[in-house]
Amino acid sequence: MSMEDYDYLFKIVLIGNAGVGKTCLVRRFTQGLFPPGQGATIGVDFMIKTVEIKGEKVKLQIWDTAGQERFRSITQSYYRSANALILTYDITCEDSFRCLPEWLREIEQYANNQVVTILVGNKIDLAEKREVLRQRAEDFADAQSMLYLETSAKESDNVEKLFLDLACELIREAKQNKLDNNDTAPMPGEGKTISYLSCCSLN
Amino acid sequence: MAAEDLPSEFDVVILGTGLAESVVAAACSRVGQRVLHLDRRSYYASNWASFTFNGLLTWIQQLQEESQPKEVPDWSSQLEEGEELIYLSSSDSSASICNLQVFCYTSEEDEEEQAPDTTEEETVRAADEDAVQEVSEAESAETREEEERRGADKGQAAQTAGEEPEAESHPHAAPSQSEPAKKKLSYAQLVKEGRRFNIDLVSKLMYSRGSLVDLLIKSNVSRYAEFKNVTRILTYRHGNVEQVPCSRADVFASRQLSVVEKRKLMRFLTSCVEETEEQTAYNGRPYLDFLCDQQLGENLQHFVLHSIAMVTADTPTEEGLASTRQFLRCLGRYGNTPFLFPVYGLGEIPQCFCRMCAVFGGIYCLRHSVHCLLVDKHTNRCKAVIDSRGQRISCSHFVAEASYVGAERKKVATPTRFLSRAVLITDSSVLASDSEQQVSVVTVPPIAAGCPAVKMVELCPSTMTCIPGTYLVHLTCQSIGSAYQDLSPLVTRMFRTVESHDKAETRPAVLWCLYFNMADGSGTEVEGHDLPSNVYVCSGPDGSLGHEHTIKQAEFIFHKILPDEEFCPPAPNPEDIIYDGETTAATGDTQEEEQSPQKQEEEETKEEEETKEEEETKEETKEEEHLQTEE
Repeated sequence: MSMEDYDYLFKIVLIGNAGVGKTCLVRRFTQGLFPPGQGATIGVDFMIKTVEIKGEKVKLQIWDTAGQERFRSITQSYYRSANALILTYDITCEDSFRCLPEWLREIEQYANNQVVTILVGNKIDLAEKREVLRQRAEDFADAQSMLYLETSAKESDNVEKLFLDLACELIREAKQNKLDNNDTAPMPGEGKTISYLSCCSLN
Repeated sequence: MAAEDLPSEFDVVILGTGLAESVVAAACSRVGQRVLHLDRRSYYASNWASFTFNGLLTWIQQLQEESQPKEVPDWSSQLEEGEELIYLSSSDSSASICNLQVFCYTSEEDEEEQAPDTTEEETVRAADEDAVQEVSEAESAETREEEERRGADKGQAAQTAGEEPEAESHPHAAPSQSEPAKKKLSYAQLVKEGRRFNIDLVSKLMYSRGSLVDLLIKSNVSRYAEFKNVTRILTYRHGNVEQVPCSRADVFASRQLSVVEKRKLMRFLTSCVEETEEQTAYNGRPYLDFLCDQQLGENLQHFVLHSIAMVTADTPTEEGLASTRQFLRCLGRYGNTPFLFPVYGLGEIPQCFCRMCAVFGGIYCLRHSVHCLLVDKHTNRCKAVIDSRGQRISCSHFVAEASYVGAERKKVATPTRFLSRAVLITDSSVLASDSEQQVSVVTVPPIAAGCPAVKMVELCPSTMTCIPGTYLVHLTCQSIGSAYQDLSPLVTRMFRTVESHDKAETRPAVLWCLYFNMADGSGTEVEGHDLPSNVYVCSGPDGSLGHEHTIKQAEFIFHKILPDEEFCPPAPNPEDIIYDGETTAATGDTQEEEQSPQKQEEEETKEEEETKEEEETKEETKEEEHLQTEE
């Protein structure tokens, strides 16, 4: 895990109602799998995929909700330090679309101001069951100045595009803001002892 | 969102999302227990929570409005043969939080919107009016609380009595003072930028070699949070704030200390590390006596007693030395002081453990509680709980935060001990320096005999707990009177408020402040209550600076539940999990579940090595930095 492995590291966080296909999107993108299978997500915090964009290596760290959205109990700390948010709903489920404003409130409350948000309508393979028209979702996304994309994790439609588009956007933003990477914050970790006193007693 | 029913069978049901409960949840889930974690509040972390400014205002309002305990439905129809019901406490935090008082010392409206020729005096008057208004609000709430309290606890009511005249008097005591050149942030601006505050109900720090930091590292929960070094240790003495030299570099760079003092201090600190016969001879005698006999002189005695050991004059020597050693042991691991502070506030930490629990399959539900326990009469074990929707949920163990357990069943230290807390939003640091981004801990010895020693933590905007141009100051002490009685004299001395008199101009101005008392968790035991044998009680936050008590308690509860399991083994690093695509796609769920623990174990070793390497590189850089500072 040396630092030279990539040029950029971005944390992408998925949110949206339970059952809209968040985990499926991640697994499809990172492993090319569908369906992901339940047991496999136990103990998995986030998934990693490194992609190359215009000759630059971009490492994407993609975080899933760990099921905390089921009873609307996502921890605030989940949103912290995310570079991008993928707000997902299910195009065959009106209710998952109607909950979007609630999700946006959470984002506004807890996420970083500069976070890039993309709205994703998943399950376009179930076109015959569609409840949310594309135009309606596009208008909503426009009004909230979000990007919008429709995907199918099952058929792998637009999944690659979703993450690559996000990566491009994040690189663009990073270059603009010269992204002040917060890596000065110390992390607790096992390390060598450097006690002043032991230094001193050697003197 | 659709109201889904909870599953009806768990191994462990945990009520309350404070630090101890969250650590137990993570630990149980990590080793494969099915965990249900509930909190009746709408936010995580119980009394360990941090709030945005607006969130804090809502919290205050809710406490002030809190009505009589809600009536709990009769669930006796759910009883099966051989079972009995134990109802849990239905009132909210009112038992653990009291004496809330809010003061606003800044103008209500945005000054920019006012006519430019507004005179300074007018602004001051506006501030005073705010204070008056806020005081009366706080008082009425207090009176209400006092009344409630009188019924339950006469001793506590006596404590709060005698406060009202004082509170009434300060609006009149307001002196006319000229506004400083710097424009004060208005209350409206604080509200507007409110979401960028993260105001902790508890004020603690993480000892860099303390049990919380060790646990965060060991379990890999540390990946969910970021931390900042506490950059300075300050002390308040003779009416001034001074920096305490604690690292070798500090000692040698100090301008307050003479060369002789520097040598003495280094010699003393070095000698402390090992226990000697000379030290044990002082066991049971005050630490101050020991320090006196070390011929340190008054300066050094003060530093060692109040800022390094952080004890009081009458603390026994062995305890004082233990604290001194803990301080020294933690020095230099990450920075110049022994302490770390989590970015976005302490409220993040319980949430990080909750995330770990969820990642391992724990189920989370806020705004949801347990009304009663179903107890097997013969075994005296809790078989199931009934949740706030009347659903029966079976469990093998039940863990609850103390405030959910009715007073009649709880064994607590009497009289109930409280902590006094104050939270201030100020406009500048108590000790100006080259850098505006200092995180400071200030030790304040008792102002007079019988007064409590106060621990103060000043947070700067880079901790993401307050907005640029402000500092967030937390004061904590063991309560003697109400939080206002205990702490406001100190606030008036160290800061500029309407109550401050002469020579206040150079001190930081208080824009807004909150006083409250919180029950001291150190008085609650895990066991020994009138409860079934598989029910464990977690105490709320205690008054100490570190987290030792809470982490120890969580580990104790975990081992009571699972005597043979490891406490929080490292979670696998997601980057090291190698997925076998074919197998995962082809096999059913059960097989995968069997597979994953094995995988994890393989990865653990690899991962440990990696972390070590990483950290070592980090530490090396740190050391270099220190070498530089020493020159």
